Amino acid sequence: MSPTTTATEAPKVKPPETPIEHLSNDTAKLYTHIHPILILSLYAFQFKSIVADPVPALLNTLVPLGILQITYVAVCLPPIGSDVAPAAEKRKPGEKKKIAPGKLVSGLNGKIIPAFISLLVSTLAATPLLMLTLIFFGAPITTHHAHTLLCAAHISLLATLPLIYVHGVDGERWREIVACLLPIDEVYGCLIGTVLGAWLGAVPIPLDWDREWQKWPVTIVTGAYLGFVVGKLAGGTFLKGKQMKFE
Amino acid sequence: MDNGEPLPSYEGLAAAFAKAKAEKEREEAQGLKGRTGDAAAANKQGEVHFKAAHGLVVAFFTWILVLHVLGIYLFTSGFLLTRLVLQQKSECSVPPADLAHSYTPGSPKAGCWHPKTFEKAIVIIVDALRYDFTVPFQATGSEQLQHFHNAIPVLYETAINHPNNAFLLPFIADPPTTTLQRLKGLTTGTLPTFLDAGSNFAGTAIDEDNLVAQLRNASKRIVHLGDDTWHALFPGYFEPNLTHAYDSFNVWDLHTVDNGVTDHIFPLLQSSNTSKWDIIFGHYLGVDHAGHRYGPNHPAMTAKLNQMDEIFRKMIDQLDDSTLLVVMGDHGMDAKGDHGGESDDEIQAALWMYSKQKLFGRSSPAYRTPPATAQERPVAQIDLVSTLSLLLGMPIPFNNLGVPIEEAFIGAKGEDYQNLARVNRLTAAQIHRYQQEYALARGLEENARSNSLSLWKAANDAWDKLKPIKKPSRDHWKTPAQAFAAYQAETLTICRDLWARFDIPRMLHGVEILTFTLVILAIYARGLQGDRTELTPALLVRGIIGTVLGVLVGVSLGFAKPDLPLEHTLIYCASIGGVVGLGTAFWYVRRRVTNPLPNSLWGWVSVIFTLALSAGFAANSFTIWEDEILLHFLCTFGALTVISSFRQKDPIDRALGCYHSILFIVLTRVASLSRMCREEQMPYCKSTYYASATSSTSATWQLAIPYAVAFLLPNLIRSYYKGTRSHQGSAILWLDFALRFGLLLSAAYWTIDAADDGDWYPGYSEMLKTTKIIIAQITFAIALAFGYSTFSWAKPLLTIETKVKGSEESAEQIVADGGTSSITILGYANVHGSRYALLITMWYLAISLVQKPMGAGAIGIAAWQVFSLFEITDTNKLSDTPIGPIVLGLLGSFHFFKTGHQATLSSIQWESAFIPLRTIKYPWTPILIILNSFGAQILCAIAVPAIVLWKQPPKKKGLLGDVAKATATHLLFYAVINLATTMWAGHLRRHLMLYRIFCPKFMTGALVLLVVDLVAIFVALLGTRMSFLSVAEVFGWT
Repeated sequence: MSPTTTATEAPKVKPPETPIEHLSNDTAKLYTHIHPILILSLYAFQFKSIVADPVPALLNTLVPLGILQITYVAVCLPPIGSDVAPAAEKRKPGEKKKIAPGKLVSGLNGKIIPAFISLLVSTLAATPLLMLTLIFFGAPITTHHAHTLLCAAHISLLATLPLIYVHGVDGERWREIVACLLPIDEVYGCLIGTVLGAWLGAVPIPLDWDREWQKWPVTIVTGAYLGFVVGKLAGGTFLKGKQMKFE
Repeated sequence: MDNGEPLPSYEGLAAAFAKAKAEKEREEAQGLKGRTGDAAAANKQGEVHFKAAHGLVVAFFTWILVLHVLGIYLFTSGFLLTRLVLQQKSECSVPPADLAHSYTPGSPKAGCWHPKTFEKAIVIIVDALRYDFTVPFQATGSEQLQHFHNAIPVLYETAINHPNNAFLLPFIADPPTTTLQRLKGLTTGTLPTFLDAGSNFAGTAIDEDNLVAQLRNASKRIVHLGDDTWHALFPGYFEPNLTHAYDSFNVWDLHTVDNGVTDHIFPLLQSSNTSKWDIIFGHYLGVDHAGHRYGPNHPAMTAKLNQMDEIFRKMIDQLDDSTLLVVMGDHGMDAKGDHGGESDDEIQAALWMYSKQKLFGRSSPAYRTPPATAQERPVAQIDLVSTLSLLLGMPIPFNNLGVPIEEAFIGAKGEDYQNLARVNRLTAAQIHRYQQEYALARGLEENARSNSLSLWKAANDAWDKLKPIKKPSRDHWKTPAQAFAAYQAETLTICRDLWARFDIPRMLHGVEILTFTLVILAIYARGLQGDRTELTPALLVRGIIGTVLGVLVGVSLGFAKPDLPLEHTLIYCASIGGVVGLGTAFWYVRRRVTNPLPNSLWGWVSVIFTLALSAGFAANSFTIWEDEILLHFLCTFGALTVISSFRQKDPIDRALGCYHSILFIVLTRVASLSRMCREEQMPYCKSTYYASATSSTSATWQLAIPYAVAFLLPNLIRSYYKGTRSHQGSAILWLDFALRFGLLLSAAYWTIDAADDGDWYPGYSEMLKTTKIIIAQITFAIALAFGYSTFSWAKPLLTIETKVKGSEESAEQIVADGGTSSITILGYANVHGSRYALLITMWYLAISLVQKPMGAGAIGIAAWQVFSLFEITDTNKLSDTPIGPIVLGLLGSFHFFKTGHQATLSSIQWESAFIPLRTIKYPWTPILIILNSFGAQILCAIAVPAIVLWKQPPKKKGLLGDVAKATATHLLFYAVINLATTMWAGHLRRHLMLYRIFCPKFMTGALVLLVVDLVAIFVALLGTRMSFLSVAEVFGWT
């Protein structure tokens, strides 16, 4: 499984993007390790009800998941624009409204507001896109729309919310994100882990074990949660700074 | 040629170019060579060299094909084992046990072993008469009344109103549920073996003991009417002047056979004619054909069953007292009306016996009502043989394993256990005699039979105990009757086990050959540096030397040790010899051998796709859901190429790559909406391929699909040509006119077919049939005859334009400039690709014709995706990676499902043989069925060379080697699948689902591999040769 293994030096032309470091205060250092535990506990706690009736349970789980993710990004991660990134890069007409407040307000608000904006963008923009992707990969077209949408929302909150928080919505930056051109870090690891986890989550669906949890979309969501934790861990530790290579 | 103007012809083109070159005195980067003396000789040499290299590559792949055939043959012959057929026959005067009650055996007049009940019999087989057709519909749960329900009530009515005259029971077939196999079972009383399933095309005479032969030996006059399969099995057994046989294979004809049987059977029932015959075998095919053609839930099925109902009522009226009437189905049909496998619907037929005398009984009053479902009180089809034999006073055939049917012997009051005990004892004794002989012939171990032997002893003890009793009561007789039946049941179980026994050494050797061949193919495909054509001669020579040595070793071994089967030894030694020879060849060229394991993401993705799919075939769930897995993989590939496209530096490549990748994903998903579910996928799958899940005709709206394809697809393909300005010359003629016209014709074919099917114009049926067959033949002629002549004579799709300096033109098209004008060759950027891809569209047309309307849509999408894939691999620079050929393998496998197929016997669309033909014609019939079944794989295999030829410079070195490499990679995909399914089938040979899932999957995998091998060699590589020769006419060989 090589997309995440090859170490490289700097890409040839552009100066390398540096991996995102979490904030250097003690709370951040501590909470970044607690967060995956909380996420997994939340999911484990809700698992039974998700299996029993996916739609309301997934919907209910979405709220605490959003809160946990917001807490995580606000406590541990540098918001977009807080570091050396040139200002021009993120000023696109459509996004101005959302990004601008994060730049104007400082202090705690400077973190909480971008976090909420990230939540908004990831629910409103990323979720439908992910739902479409899920349908392309074989999710039912005519039925189970609520299931698929909620599954997409969970993946989106897990994978894209932190990324939007640290990278904003700049087109060129997102091209690099989609193209796997950024060096791996904790946040990027979340995305890759969640996506791979959700991909692998499809494996047990066809098996004839007749288990409740095989129903749509439980395995996908489970895969995404597990992948998130593994990806975050791997991205923050031994894969940190590595570059993905296709050729 | 001095006028400086470009000439339209291509000889002129070369000359014009040479002149342009001379004028500008400039060495072109990638242009043509002048045809002066030395150059011409060199050119000629280049051509000879190419042809030789090409021939060697073809020879190499043929050699791989031979190894595949040998490996598959060896495995199959050990896997699909046959039962040993004993030649002994039962004799009238030699009963298997001493007869009690002072009955003298040996007289066919009175009854050979047991007093006979009937003088004559009429045995009617209604092909595919499923049990639930015959019993009243009872609404349970969500089940809806369907067209086949309550349409043939006569059997049930008589059984319930006159229980002493008739009985109706579920009649369980042993799979495979094909008619030939069933007839064997119904006349010999023994179990079928899987291997015979394929011989439904050309049945061979039964030489083991059977009921029909016994009747003939007893000088009974036998009449046969209907399905001609009987004549293949029993040649010359029937009264020639009364017998009328009809072609059984034309499943689109619902009435010829049935009307023929009816027309000839009723005159025989008249009292003036009853003295002319003793037994009539009638075989109606209409129900089966209605099922194949329309599916069971169709008005045509109701009509057919009503017709049968009427016939049997009439038969009952005309029957005389001494004649037994038997009506039965030889198998059932699945939800779509097909059969062959072992699903419940396919094995559950109906059996009904009727006589004017009050002879039949039930052992319990509860049994007076025929069972509501086939799960209750079923009898096996092999039970018919002993029952009929004893009722008609014949000896029980020697190999019989069935038990007499209780209802026929228990007496009208249902308490004649004495009679039942006698017939059960006779049957059991015959089975015991047969088992003794079989054990002698095959050397069976005693302990395998110990259980049945003790049951045999117990039954005989129970029988002997009755001797001292003066007047045994019915309960006294009941014990031995049941004990003998228990012995029969146990023996049957043992035999089922025994005949599912496998020849392990053969299977292992087959797997070994396939494994070694796979390793060779893998090294050839991915583990050699540089041009494969340079290495092929060495590989081939050593491989052949090895094979020859292997043959010598095999022959001498065969003679030295005569107890080894010669054919097995020979095949094994020859293959292993060849493989070892190639091994030394790889050692010889070891400097060029590299690690075949992948070193890039794309390599790994290819490996993971192939191996994950292969590993999945070990689980029945993943085998059942293969179509969904392929969808998942293809979309994953699309997603990866989106990512990869985003990585491209050139914005045009980026945009094009993204567009085609997303297009690829969307098309995959759209095609996935065409589904033909297998039984095991229920209820999670909804068939959309036909009008409904219980039909095999297309819905009316689906008829529009081929028209839409005919209008859209030529334009779409044209757009792939336009990008490089290759849409010119023969491409215009072929794509815009011939292909479109052919597609329109094929759409018209399916409309006419629907009109014929649905009887839209009653009375014009014959005309419609003739018209559609002619249309189909014309379409084939356009696709292959006109197509191949276009393909072989067409010039490369090029035009020369001279432009005045300063005008804008794509830089890669300009091959020479200087002075005030520049020469541009339009279409230069994709000379090889555009030229070769014409071949894909030709075969596409042929394949599209033989698909149902929904399949035409799916295969159209497949063709579109193939071109999209060319662009993806080009913009992402993937033509050297294995991903292109592997994805083509996935795509072919995916569209196999989307064209209405599954890895099951019952999903074979036999009727496709009659698209351009009225009757069976060899070799066309099997070819048509292969073209229909594996059309998608064939199309994708033909597309493989274009992956490496698309947008390559005309004079790039080693292109032929690249084609060989891509082809080998593509074959590698199918070879891995084949090896995996073979190993799983062998490993899971005791698995409950072997014949339902693993065996059909193994057979599909093996067949696909061989078909793709053949297509790769004789279509793709041959097409490459034609295409290269044509390109070289312009660009030269040096």
